Amino acid sequence: MIKEKKNLFYGLIAVMLLVLPFVYDSRSMIILLTQVFIFAMFAMSYDLLLGYTGIVSFGHAMFFGIGAYTIGIFMKQFEPTVPYFLLAVLVTVVLTAILSYIVGLLTLRLKSHFYAMLTLAFAGLFLVLAEKWRSLTYGNDGFTFRTPEVFRDRFDFYLICLVAMILVFVLLTRFTNSPLGRVLQAIRENEPRAESLGYSVIQYKIIASVVSGVIAGLAGILYSMSLRFVNTSVFTMDITLDALLMTIIGGVGTLVGAIVGAGIIEFAHHWLTQLAKVHWIFERWIILFGIVYILAVMFFPKGIVGTLQNMKKRKKHTVENKDDKNISG
Amino acid sequence: MSAQLKLNNVETYIGQFHILQGISFEVRKGEVTVLLGRNGAGKTTTLRTIMGLNPASKGQVQFNGEDIHSLPTYQIAQKGIGYVPEDQGIFAQLTVEENMKVAMKSDNDQTQARLHYILDLFPDLKTFWKKPGGLLSGGQKQMLSIARAYINENELLLIDEPSKGLAPIVVEKVMESIMEMKENTTIVLVEQNFMMASTIGDRFYIIDDGKTVQSGEMQVLKDDQDMRRKYLGIA
Amino acid sequence: MEVFFNLALNGLATGMLIFLLAAGLTLIFGLMDVLNFAHGGLFAWGAYSGTWIYATTGSFFIGIIGAIITGLILGMITERFIIKPVYGNHVQQILITLGLMLVLSELLKVVWGPNQLSAVAPSFLQGSWEVGNIIIIKYRVFIILVGLLVFLAVQYVLKNTKIGLVVRAGVMNKEMVQALGINIKKVFMLVFMIGAAMAALGGVLLGPYSGVIHAEMGMEFAILAFIVVVIGGMGSFPGSILAAILVGLSGSFMAYYVPDLALAANMLLMVVVLIFRPQGLFGMKG
Repeated sequence: MIKEKKNLFYGLIAVMLLVLPFVYDSRSMIILLTQVFIFAMFAMSYDLLLGYTGIVSFGHAMFFGIGAYTIGIFMKQFEPTVPYFLLAVLVTVVLTAILSYIVGLLTLRLKSHFYAMLTLAFAGLFLVLAEKWRSLTYGNDGFTFRTPEVFRDRFDFYLICLVAMILVFVLLTRFTNSPLGRVLQAIRENEPRAESLGYSVIQYKIIASVVSGVIAGLAGILYSMSLRFVNTSVFTMDITLDALLMTIIGGVGTLVGAIVGAGIIEFAHHWLTQLAKVHWIFERWIILFGIVYILAVMFFPKGIVGTLQNMKKRKKHTVENKDDKNISG
Repeated sequence: MSAQLKLNNVETYIGQFHILQGISFEVRKGEVTVLLGRNGAGKTTTLRTIMGLNPASKGQVQFNGEDIHSLPTYQIAQKGIGYVPEDQGIFAQLTVEENMKVAMKSDNDQTQARLHYILDLFPDLKTFWKKPGGLLSGGQKQMLSIARAYINENELLLIDEPSKGLAPIVVEKVMESIMEMKENTTIVLVEQNFMMASTIGDRFYIIDDGKTVQSGEMQVLKDDQDMRRKYLGIA
Repeated sequence: MEVFFNLALNGLATGMLIFLLAAGLTLIFGLMDVLNFAHGGLFAWGAYSGTWIYATTGSFFIGIIGAIITGLILGMITERFIIKPVYGNHVQQILITLGLMLVLSELLKVVWGPNQLSAVAPSFLQGSWEVGNIIIIKYRVFIILVGLLVFLAVQYVLKNTKIGLVVRAGVMNKEMVQALGINIKKVFMLVFMIGAAMAALGGVLLGPYSGVIHAEMGMEFAILAFIVVVIGGMGSFPGSILAAILVGLSGSFMAYYVPDLALAANMLLMVVVLIFRPQGLFGMKG
C-alpha cells in the first residue's frame, strides 16, 4: 500500500513537470529544469555505483564527457540529422561500456582506494586528450554545433529530457530491485559474505560499473545538446564533484535522492551565482556545499531522502509499538 | 588468594555476530589458568576482549579490582597485561631487536637486565638479533612474541595457543619457558594441546558456544574422561 | 648532452616536489589506511600561505617556515575533525577527504582571490651556474637538495628513533602496537601533521619553480602523487622517492620529445603496475 502511495506521489510530480511548460512560460526556468533533469540522470548513474554497490568513482566525468564530445563531434563533422544522432548514441554506449568494463576489470578486485584513484587519473587523461586532439575537439575552447531539427525547440527538449530522466529512474529502480540489484546491495552491505555465498563479486561490480558508465554517457549527450556547445569542462573534476554532491546531499542508495540533490544543487547554483552581483562571496557558493557535504558524510550518510525515510520508519515503528501495548493491555 | 583478573558475564559482538554470550572466570595471582574448548568456541575472542581489541558490550573485566572493559587497548596494556596473539603478531620487516624495542617502555639498566635474562631463556633470539622477524621459524616467532610480551614487568600474560603448528620438540621448549615465567607472572593460556595444558595449568575453564561451562582444578579434568570427551573431543 | 642534462635536472626537481607530496600520502596510507584525497589541497595551501608570507616579509626562509607551520596546523585540524570521526570506513573516508579538498581549494580563492599569485626565487637562488656547456639552474638544484634532505631526515627518524620504530611497526600491525601499550592515535596525528607539512613545503617550493601558483595545481600534483604512490607501493616510504623520481624524469623527457603523451606515459605506467604488481614496485602491502 505504501509503495502504491509512493508511486502515486512520483506520478503526480511527473505529471506536474510535464504540464509545467504549458502553464508557466518562463524560458530560463525551462532551461534550468532541463539541466536538473540531465544532472539527475547523471547523479542516478553515480548513485548506482556509490549507493547501491559501494564503489567510489572520482572519474565519472569521463563517461559524461565521452557522451558530450561524441554527439558534438558527430553533429559537427557529419550532419545534424537524426540518423547521425542515433549513431552518436550507439557509439557513446559502446565506448562508455568498453571503458567502464576495462576500468572495472583493472581495479575492482583491489581496495576501494584504487578504483577512486584510477578513475580520477583516467578522467585526467581524457581531459588532456580533449585538450590536445585539436583537430577533433578544437582544444580548450571547444566548439559549437547544430542539433537535429527535432531537438531544437526548448520546450520539446525539456520534455525529451524529462522523459529520459523518468525512463532512467524507472529502469534503474527495476534494476536495483531485480535479483541482480539485490546481489549488488548484498555486496555493499557485506562483501566477504556475498563472496562466501558463492557470488562472483567482481562480475557484479563490473556490471554495475558498466550500466552506470553508459547512463552517464547518455546524460553527457543530452548535456552538450542542451548547450549546443562542448568544451573540455565536461571532463573536469567539477562534473564528478557535481554528481558526488548531488548524490550525497540528496541521499545515497535511493535514486530519488539523486534527483532531489540535482534539483537542489542546480537551483542553488543558479540563484547563488546571481547573488554574486550583491557580494562576491556568493561566487564561492561551492564552499557552502562542500561543508554541507562533509557534514552530510559525517552525520547524515543517508542524505536528505534517506534521513526522511528513516524518520518515517521510526514514526511508524512507534505507532506499531503503541498498538502492541493496547492489545496486551 | 586474590583474583587478579575477573570476568563477569562478559558478552562480545563482532560485527553482528554474538561471539561471547556470557564468559565468567577468575584468574588467581601466580597461577596458570587454561582456557579450553573446541575451535570457534570463543577462546581467542575472550583474550581479545580482555585486551580491548574486541571490546565487551556487556559485563565487566576486572583487573586488580578495576573495571577495564571500556578502556582503549593501549591503556589496558599499560596496566600491566602482556599479550601473545594467536598469529604471534611479529612485525615481519623489523629485526628481532626492533621488535623488542617497540615493546620496551624504557631503556634503563633494569630493562636491560631483564632483556639479558630473557635472551638467556630464548638463546635463538640472540642468534637472530639483527635479522628481520619475518625470517624466523614458527617456533622462534613464538618465542619472540612471548619475549616481547614479557620484557616489561607485566603482572599478567595472555598467551594464545603457543603450541600451534610447532614440532613437539619446540613445544617442549616453549613449555619450559612458560614454566619459568610462571615463577613471577600470572598467566592465562589458551591451549588445544591437552598435554601442554595439563602440565603447566593450575586451573581450567572450558568455553563452549561463547559461554564458560565448566571449571575447576586441572587435576579434576585430568581425572574426568567424560568431561574431556564432551567438551574437548579428546579422551 | 646539454638537453639531456637539463631534462634530467628538471625531472629530478619535479620528482622531488612530487615526492614531498607523495611521501605524506604513502605514510598516512600505510599507517592509517587512509588515502587522503585532500592532500593536494594541503599542498596548495602551503604554496599560497608560503608565497604570501614570503612576499610580505621579503624572506624566502620565513615563507618556507610559514608554509610548514600552515601544513602542521591544517594537518592537525584535518586529522582531528575530518579523518578521526570516520576511521575504519573506507568509503566515508574517501568521500570526506575529497569534500575537504573542494573546501580547501575554494577557501584559497576566498582568502587570496581567484587569480594566480606570482613568485620569484630569492636573489641568492636566482640564475645559474655554467659547467662547460651545461647550464645548471640554481633553484632546481635547491629543490633537489631540499627534497633529499627531507628524505634523509625522515628516513633517519624512521630507522633510528622509537617513534619511527612505532610508525614502521604500525604499518605492519596496528593492533599489536596497541597491545604493546602504545597509543597509536597520537602517532596517527603526528604522522598526519608531518605528512601535511611535507606537502605544504612542496607547495611553497613550487612557487618560484613554476613562476606562478594557482588553486588547481593542488589537484594536478595530487594526481601525480597518486600515480607515484601506486607505482612505489602504498605505504612504502623509500618506494615513494624512487617512484617520484621515475615519474618526474619520465614527465620531463616525455614533455620534451612527445609533449602530448607526457601525462599519458605516467598513467600507463600506473596501469601496468596495477595489473601486474598491485602492491607497487617497492611496496609490501596491496
